[in-house]
Amino acid sequence: MKIEHKIYLSNAVNIVLIVLIGLFALQNLNEILTKFRFIVIAEGLNANFLEMRLAEKNYFLYGDDNALYNIRSRINQTSDTMLQVRNDITRAVGAEKYATLLDHLHTYDQMIDSISKSRPRDAEAQKKLREVGQKLKTFSEDITALESSRIDAIIISSRNILFYSIWTVVLFALLFSNLIVRNIGQSLRKVVNLTRAISKGNYPKIKEKPSNDEMGAVISAINSMAEELQRREKEIVQSKRLASIGVLVAGVAHELNNPLNNISMLAQTYAEVYDGLGKEDRISFMERVDEETERLRVIIHNLLDYAKPKEQHLARADTNQVVQKVLALVKNMLDISNIKIKLTLAENLPDIYIDEHQIQQVLVNMATNAIQAMDRGGELRIGTRYVPDTDEIEIEIADKGKGIAPEFLDHIFDPFFTTKGDSGTGLGLWVSYGIIKNHQGNIRVTSQIGIGTTFIITLPSCKKLKRCTDDEA
Amino acid sequence: MTKHSIMFIDDEKIVGDMAKLSFEQDGYEVETFLDGESALARLQQKRFDVVVTDMKMKGIDGLEVLRTVKKLYPGIKVIMITAFANLDVAIEALRDDVHDFFPKPVKIKELKASVKRALGEG
Repeated sequence: MKIEHKIYLSNAVNIVLIVLIGLFALQNLNEILTKFRFIVIAEGLNANFLEMRLAEKNYFLYGDDNALYNIRSRINQTSDTMLQVRNDITRAVGAEKYATLLDHLHTYDQMIDSISKSRPRDAEAQKKLREVGQKLKTFSEDITALESSRIDAIIISSRNILFYSIWTVVLFALLFSNLIVRNIGQSLRKVVNLTRAISKGNYPKIKEKPSNDEMGAVISAINSMAEELQRREKEIVQSKRLASIGVLVAGVAHELNNPLNNISMLAQTYAEVYDGLGKEDRISFMERVDEETERLRVIIHNLLDYAKPKEQHLARADTNQVVQKVLALVKNMLDISNIKIKLTLAENLPDIYIDEHQIQQVLVNMATNAIQAMDRGGELRIGTRYVPDTDEIEIEIADKGKGIAPEFLDHIFDPFFTTKGDSGTGLGLWVSYGIIKNHQGNIRVTSQIGIGTTFIITLPSCKKLKRCTDDEA
Repeated sequence: MTKHSIMFIDDEKIVGDMAKLSFEQDGYEVETFLDGESALARLQQKRFDVVVTDMKMKGIDGLEVLRTVKKLYPGIKVIMITAFANLDVAIEALRDDVHDFFPKPVKIKELKASVKRALGEG
């Protein structure tokens, strides 16, 4: 169900509840109003009946005709009123009680009639009249009291029902919004984790079928974005590889053309000035040709060596031990260059799964670069640490050397790129990068002119690789 | 008649050495330099007729030598040599009024013909 629909549904349920409560309250109010009207009327009738009874008493005591007249007019008045408000009374107490009341009134009226005719005071008739009067008054008072207590009951039950319905509505609202919010929250957390992973260069698709709501739509949109990113990244890697081959070829051409040109010029000049050359000169010419040929041989050998896809001999290794071995290798260089070493090795690092020889080569290369960058001495910092988020090990190699200009920083991993002039082949970092990439790792670099350069090598831990058995095993 | 003077700039020492031997035999006065800085410094003291410079050098490179020479001494012809066979660089050099452009390995005969043309003798 879509979130939109869930919200509509929860609102609809609450609205229905509120309308029901409203209708119930309205009905109760109507009933109270009817009963209240009756009570007002009944109070009037009761007052009349009381007056009648008083007049009746007076008549019997003093035989006053005025009193009789008074009773008659009260009866008529009551009878008129009852006819006028017949509906109200019927509605409040029912037709039966109305009829009974009217019946009592008629009986009383007839008794008065007969008593006024039988002037001689008939004690028996007097007694009967009193009884009927009393009945009339009591009945009227009783139904008034009954209706009064009913109003009371309706108000109390209304109050209770309203009280519970308010809580019911509140509970329903809370329950629904909680369900919807939790639903959205869970999905949003998935989205956050997904985008975080993507920004780190991983593409973990959410495999479960996306729900049929808006969040599901967002997640499938992100999934397809991740697929597209992955596809494009592959394209970029591919084109970078091609560009890197281009750079390599151009570099090779330059590296080879110089000694070739030297040999060519030596040969051309040799032929040209041959007559004027002594034996020593001729030997010197040929020696120089040989030197340039040697130079070519070295370049080609290096190139072949680097280009040769080396078989990896992977084994479990402890990062800190590898670092220690590398330190032993470069210790001499550090001492000569008056460079102090500062180690910050994290304890209990998960193992890595590497070709130790290759990783040592990378670290020696980086350390050598660092040492060369600090020709006036300084401090070489080497650190290891575990990154739990990505299950990777980081090795940091930082120098306080010259630093690399920003415009060169993009090219330091290019083949034949060097800032060291003749003393560098321009292949060290290129090869290092290749090795680390083959280990599913990465190299990052930051540098500031005059402050120093920091290389951070990332390698997946055994934990991350999951298969971490030695080659021999 | 005074000798024509040629300046060779190349960080490969053999280039200068061979050019000196070969061109001096043809009656030119030759001075060689291994970098742009010392060459430009020398130009302040002595007027050369032709400057032959390598393209890719540490510090001041061939293009910068070309631009400086063309700015300060517009009469001097500049010939460029490069081991870096890149058309873009050649085009850039042409814009800066290079006299000629040779990829390495260089044929000395062709270089000499170009120098002659530069001196108006071709």
